[in-house]
Amino acid sequence: MDRFDAVVVGGGAAGLGAAYRMAENGLNVLLIERGENIGEKSVYGGRIYSWVFEEYVKGFRDAPIERWVRKERMTLLDEKESVSIEYSSDESCSFVANLTKFNRWLAERAEDAGALVISGIKVEDVKLNPAKIVADGDEIECDAVVIAEGVNPMLAMRLGLREDWKPEEVAVGVKEVFKLSEDEINSRFDVESDEGVANLFVGYPIFTHGGGFIYTNKDTVSAGVVVRVDSAMNNMIEVYDVVEKFRTHRDVAAFLKGGSMIEYSAHLVPEAGIKGIPNTLHKGNVMIAGDTAGFVLNRGFTIRGVDFAFYSGILAADSIKEAMDKGDVSSAGQIYEDKVRKSLILRELERFRKALDVLENTRFFDEYTRMMVGIMNGIFDVRKESNRLYDVVMDKTKGRKLRMVLDLLSAFRGL
Amino acid sequence: MESIENRLGLVSFTVDSESHIKPKEEKCDNCRLRVCLYVCPAKLYRLEEGKIYFNHEGCLECGTCRVACPEELEWEYPRGGFGVHYQFG
Repeated sequence: MDRFDAVVVGGGAAGLGAAYRMAENGLNVLLIERGENIGEKSVYGGRIYSWVFEEYVKGFRDAPIERWVRKERMTLLDEKESVSIEYSSDESCSFVANLTKFNRWLAERAEDAGALVISGIKVEDVKLNPAKIVADGDEIECDAVVIAEGVNPMLAMRLGLREDWKPEEVAVGVKEVFKLSEDEINSRFDVESDEGVANLFVGYPIFTHGGGFIYTNKDTVSAGVVVRVDSAMNNMIEVYDVVEKFRTHRDVAAFLKGGSMIEYSAHLVPEAGIKGIPNTLHKGNVMIAGDTAGFVLNRGFTIRGVDFAFYSGILAADSIKEAMDKGDVSSAGQIYEDKVRKSLILRELERFRKALDVLENTRFFDEYTRMMVGIMNGIFDVRKESNRLYDVVMDKTKGRKLRMVLDLLSAFRGL
Repeated sequence: MESIENRLGLVSFTVDSESHIKPKEEKCDNCRLRVCLYVCPAKLYRLEEGKIYFNHEGCLECGTCRVACPEELEWEYPRGGFGVHYQFG
């Protein structure tokens, strides 16, 4: 059997970043994916920030991109009404993609570069000193292992690399995909064929940590709900049911009307930001990347994980290469640790440490969402006599102005 | 309205003969919270005559039950090649 410089566990964005980069750098790398095919265990909402692919992946413009996001919409929902803010631009820094297809494309690029990608096999164990993986009754020894097994850190936990997530540290995302014609999507969302919309929702139906989303693909629309697991537990939220409540709200249903549902999926999202990153990201020459390490940033307006995942894979690959070039391959894990701690990923997570406190405050998801919708109702609901803005705001904020101002200030600072 | 059964019918699975998730009967019997009944997005945990039943067919492999379960739930990813095959991840 070939001797591999490194083995990558998991064919998601993080693992593919590692395998692609190592292969590009001439390393002999093996990637093992448990799904029968690459991409079929990957699920996310729908949007990827493009910078890392533009910087690191040759031919990225040929990637299976559904639409470039040109419109960002934030919608506050209550039972019957909604308030939206839309930002529109002719430039875009992110795109909507089908992660199954996108990861498959990345895997092809990794293979073109010389990586060996094997799917349909689950890595059962990872061992240290020397680094090796156990799969299908075989042991494969190598110089370094990158664990990119996804959000459920089964191998990383067994190695003592991280503890399991607590319910307040992760959210469950549920997604439904609807088939619609490209023209219908263009006219319904008021975009051209390559242009897309990312719409996040707060409030109804959960009124607690989390919210809804809609992303436009080329000829499908993804819609769903994300709920923090502790909130689902404490509020007895039936997860399979809230996604239906969301879908059937008139201001959501309007976008999906006539579309037939073609897939239902679910996935956990790390939401603990900097607080969810374990103290060490490596043990010997075994390192963790992507969701396994918790590299996801939720700012309320935006959530990014796929770019961080891919980038952490790149950093792992570069660390292994650097260690080999130094003639001390055993230092790869420590180099990775140092690189990640100094990287954009940790800087971003650190910068938004306070966002965690803001997003912990359920008043934003319930009270203030209803208040804002109520103020709009007070302005626009004209039945003979109209209300002055001042009176509407005074009425809706009665007895909670100070707390609200303080909360808003914390949001301005944190987000 | 789309029942959860209909929604799961849209998803492709290769079902293993053995479950990758194993609730412990005596733990479930004494569990007061039973959050699995509503947090599982596929609604695979059912209560029948006071007992919790789990069916791994239709598991979306999200891991929510593992994180939410107050007891130690035996949870593994399915064997290689088995489980859900998403097409629109």
